[in-house]
Amino acid sequence: MAVVELYAPPAGDSGFKARVQRFGGYLAGMVMPNIAAFIAWGLITALFIPHGWLPNERLAVLVDPTVHILLPILIGYTGGRMVHEQRGAVVGAVATIGIVIGSEAPMFFGAMIAGPLAAYLLKLVDRVTVDRIRPGFEMLIDNFTAGVVGAVTAVLGVLAIGPVMRTFTAAAGHGVSFLVTHHLLPAASLVIEPAKVLFLNNAINHGVLGPLGVAESAETGKSILYMLESNPGPGFGILLAYLLFGPRALRPSVPAAMAIQFLGGIHEIYFPYVLMKPSMVLAAISGGAAGIVTFMITGAGLVATPSPGSIFAYLAETPRGGYFGVLAGVVVAAGVSFVVGSLLLGFGRLARDEEGL
Amino acid sequence: MTGISGADVRKLVVACDAGMGSSVMLAGQLRRELRTTPVTVEHHPLNAIPADADVVLCQQGLADRASRAAPGAVVVGFRLFLGDPAVSAVVAALKQGGPVTGTVGG
Repeated sequence: MAVVELYAPPAGDSGFKARVQRFGGYLAGMVMPNIAAFIAWGLITALFIPHGWLPNERLAVLVDPTVHILLPILIGYTGGRMVHEQRGAVVGAVATIGIVIGSEAPMFFGAMIAGPLAAYLLKLVDRVTVDRIRPGFEMLIDNFTAGVVGAVTAVLGVLAIGPVMRTFTAAAGHGVSFLVTHHLLPAASLVIEPAKVLFLNNAINHGVLGPLGVAESAETGKSILYMLESNPGPGFGILLAYLLFGPRALRPSVPAAMAIQFLGGIHEIYFPYVLMKPSMVLAAISGGAAGIVTFMITGAGLVATPSPGSIFAYLAETPRGGYFGVLAGVVVAAGVSFVVGSLLLGFGRLARDEEGL
Repeated sequence: MTGISGADVRKLVVACDAGMGSSVMLAGQLRRELRTTPVTVEHHPLNAIPADADVVLCQQGLADRASRAAPGAVVVGFRLFLGDPAVSAVVAALKQGGPVTGTVGG
């Protein structure tokens, strides 16, 4: 292990990092169990919209209700379940219908608030009633307390949370389009790549970028936002650099890691290789930014969140006619990360020095 | 908790952020390796580690969170998802009954 330890920075875990991770974990935890529904929606969209693979008006009617109603309600349901199990899930879903009705944009952030909030209210109510119910009245009380909380939060959703979240979603959307129109999107890598290797990858991708991306792709049929964090290119480039120029003790495990990362889409597997030599994050940032530039120039986008971030998920979710841009962005990102990573590893000089120690 | 004897471990939980990706991969490997022992191997999100977990394995960068989420379990952080010595040490302890020492807290 001596070689690996040479590369390891002292462990400096802070409570702050854990708190941010945990908050991000809740956001991602509401979305990730529902990824299959997002993929189903993305595939239906890619196939049946007017410029899709198999344009079909009769089936294209699925697209709008799925993204505007079903997906937010699934998120609200899951968010409620995290707070108060099945009962929380049900009121979370009911509360979410209050905010999705009448909204033009898909209300994912609103669902992330309304679902857990309604479940929390029910939890408080349950705490009050639990010891006071007379035998035989449990079902009556349980159903009606949940029914009342659901009805109240749905009304609250229409009147209060919905309008607030619409403003918020619109502002976030404007922020993103500002970044896009001023060609600032590649700078996002400065934040995304370091946060990613600190295991905030799901929080960023599923908690923030995914919901913003859905809003965009619901309008245009694709979004670049899905690809900012999930591009398998940078991680692949870094692993390739380690394979050729990394510490010799580590090299044997790298090919399997490459397959798991690039084909299987489990990016976590390369984070340790960055964390053990923190300057490698520069390789991730430059690769990520180069990938985004390529995506922008080629007008690339995906139809849904590619999750996991595997090359297969990328290919499956590429819209008709978009393969060149998507593949180019992945290849460029991998190439740039590989070159910068190899430089940072001194083209193997560091590994040779260690053997002399 | 900072340590437990491998012979007393009934449930080993591999945890990651979402409980869907890396933890599933490692849990699958460990389940095969620990087939001959009475240890149950599960994978969970960090925010939902079951209370009856004896030992929790997770990546070092997440170990802080794991020890808060599972105060009753021994948390062992590892660095690499493939071939990490900390993981092999836990497997050996569970098979042969040696001590499992936590890497966080205590």
